[in-house]
Amino acid sequence: MLEVKQVSKEYDGRRGVHQLDFTMERGEIVGFLGPNGAGKTTTMRMITGYLQPTAGSIVVDGQSVHDQGRAVRSKIGYLPETPPLYPDMTVQSYLKFVAKLRDVPAREIKLRVSEMVSRLGLQEREKQLVRGLSKGYKQRLGLAGAIIHKPDLLVLDEPTSGLDPNQIIEIRDLIRELGENHTVLLSTHILPEVSTLCNRMLIINQGQLVLDGSPQHFGSSMGDQFKVSIEVKATEQQLHNLLTPWEKVRSEVIQPSDGNSDTEQQETVKMLLTGESPDDFREELFYLLSGAGLPILEMKKENLSLEQIFLKLTTTESDAGSSGTHDLVMEESADSPTEEESK
Amino acid sequence: MRRMMAICNKELQAYFLSPTSYFAFAVYVLMTSLLFYSSFVYYQPSIVDYRLVLGDTLSMLLFVVPLLTMRLVAEEFRQGTDELLLTSPARVTEVIFGKYLASLAILIVLILCSLVYPFIMSFFGTLDLTSVWLSALGLFFLGGSMMAIGLFASTLSQHQMVSAVAGFIILLVLWMLDSFAGNTGSALQQWLDPFALTNRFDSFTKGVLSGPDILYYVTLSGVFLLLSIQIVERKRWR
Repeated sequence: MLEVKQVSKEYDGRRGVHQLDFTMERGEIVGFLGPNGAGKTTTMRMITGYLQPTAGSIVVDGQSVHDQGRAVRSKIGYLPETPPLYPDMTVQSYLKFVAKLRDVPAREIKLRVSEMVSRLGLQEREKQLVRGLSKGYKQRLGLAGAIIHKPDLLVLDEPTSGLDPNQIIEIRDLIRELGENHTVLLSTHILPEVSTLCNRMLIINQGQLVLDGSPQHFGSSMGDQFKVSIEVKATEQQLHNLLTPWEKVRSEVIQPSDGNSDTEQQETVKMLLTGESPDDFREELFYLLSGAGLPILEMKKENLSLEQIFLKLTTTESDAGSSGTHDLVMEESADSPTEEESK
Repeated sequence: MRRMMAICNKELQAYFLSPTSYFAFAVYVLMTSLLFYSSFVYYQPSIVDYRLVLGDTLSMLLFVVPLLTMRLVAEEFRQGTDELLLTSPARVTEVIFGKYLASLAILIVLILCSLVYPFIMSFFGTLDLTSVWLSALGLFFLGGSMMAIGLFASTLSQHQMVSAVAGFIILLVLWMLDSFAGNTGSALQQWLDPFALTNRFDSFTKGVLSGPDILYYVTLSGVFLLLSIQIVERKRWR
């Protein structure tokens, strides 16, 4: 469906994208990840024909973006980061305009517009001016414009950025639904979005592809160990004696007890326990420690998650802890937004 | 073609809704009617000749045209809607021509407005109707090429005001081209004379319809439209 072959883009003295190489099959939903400035938008703009690559070629459904630009552009639906809307138009006239621009047959326009309006929940707003719409509705309208001509390939640049958690869920559901009939490439820097939506992810950093695979695959291959971090009221020695004979779990001390172990004062130890298999051993651990009379103050399942993979891949030794990666939204519970809202 | 008409319609809608276009029309109508008053109603010349009025009103186009064209492309860049247009199956040529077509439609309305004056004059004597109609046609050609220049200026920036000023300067230079050369009759002046914006217009007002004059305006429009297309197309190669 989409082949990006050795594509590079140089801006004036600055490297945008460097020899990017990937393909997408029909029906895939691919998440495109990377810190800000990694080249996501540049890549998407090159795929949609808004920018021409400095080197390399992009082929959509057998046709080159460079040589058969117009044919390719009619197959692609594109939602830029800020939806391209005309503030003085009404929702309806905007959709009509986009439909004409995107070669929807004249007799289908009316039908297609009303279909989009109902599909994206814009019914009440049809006659409203675009400038008066909330951010969420603007995003929906932009999305409606991107899919009105039923494109084969849908390119979405951060479709959920700047939306409130409820809207994020709505847009995600919509994208999932669209993924049933379209091939979707979406960029985001919200990691859980990728694991909930996509069947494949591409991670790009400083203009280069650093990872290509399914989020599930990476979740399990790197997470075929079950990890738990605990804080126990005990001495290191006690824990060591207790946990060393336990063969299926490796233990390592994260934060040792506070130095002076000869005082009578009780200490706490934080440990990271790694199981050899992906089985949950928390129950056993609880009985083991409580049997020994060592109270557990805290126990938390460690997700060796996308975040860690992402950080590992997009941070180099030299800039560890600085740049890019801070823009990441570490959204642990993406699906319980109401909590956040009520705060 | 359909895409071009879609863009033209959109621009006409935008003209209809934008306060700037009302302002431009108001300025044009106000100034031309003042000039009409001072040169015709006040002096009450013995002969009834549209040309007496027309010459003065012409320079108003210099101010009105940049106001009417500054938005055309600059606003697309500013709003980011160029991303919609350039990623749609429409050619840049269709986009630019659609916009130009809309500006021509506005120009026709502007010319119709200024035809009120010969209409009033016709009550005071007999007008040379051929000259009036040809003047209107000349106004269309002159205004049309000015609109193309304004459209070109609009592709140069994403700020409307910058576009308007750029458009005004280009128009002014072309307008005054013959007087830059200094002494009348100098070789340079003779060479530049045919390229000055308004010199060609005079033959229309005299009731002469000549091929080279029309060709001049059409070519001028064509060149600036082509330049506009190139500048927008170049955005892809940044």
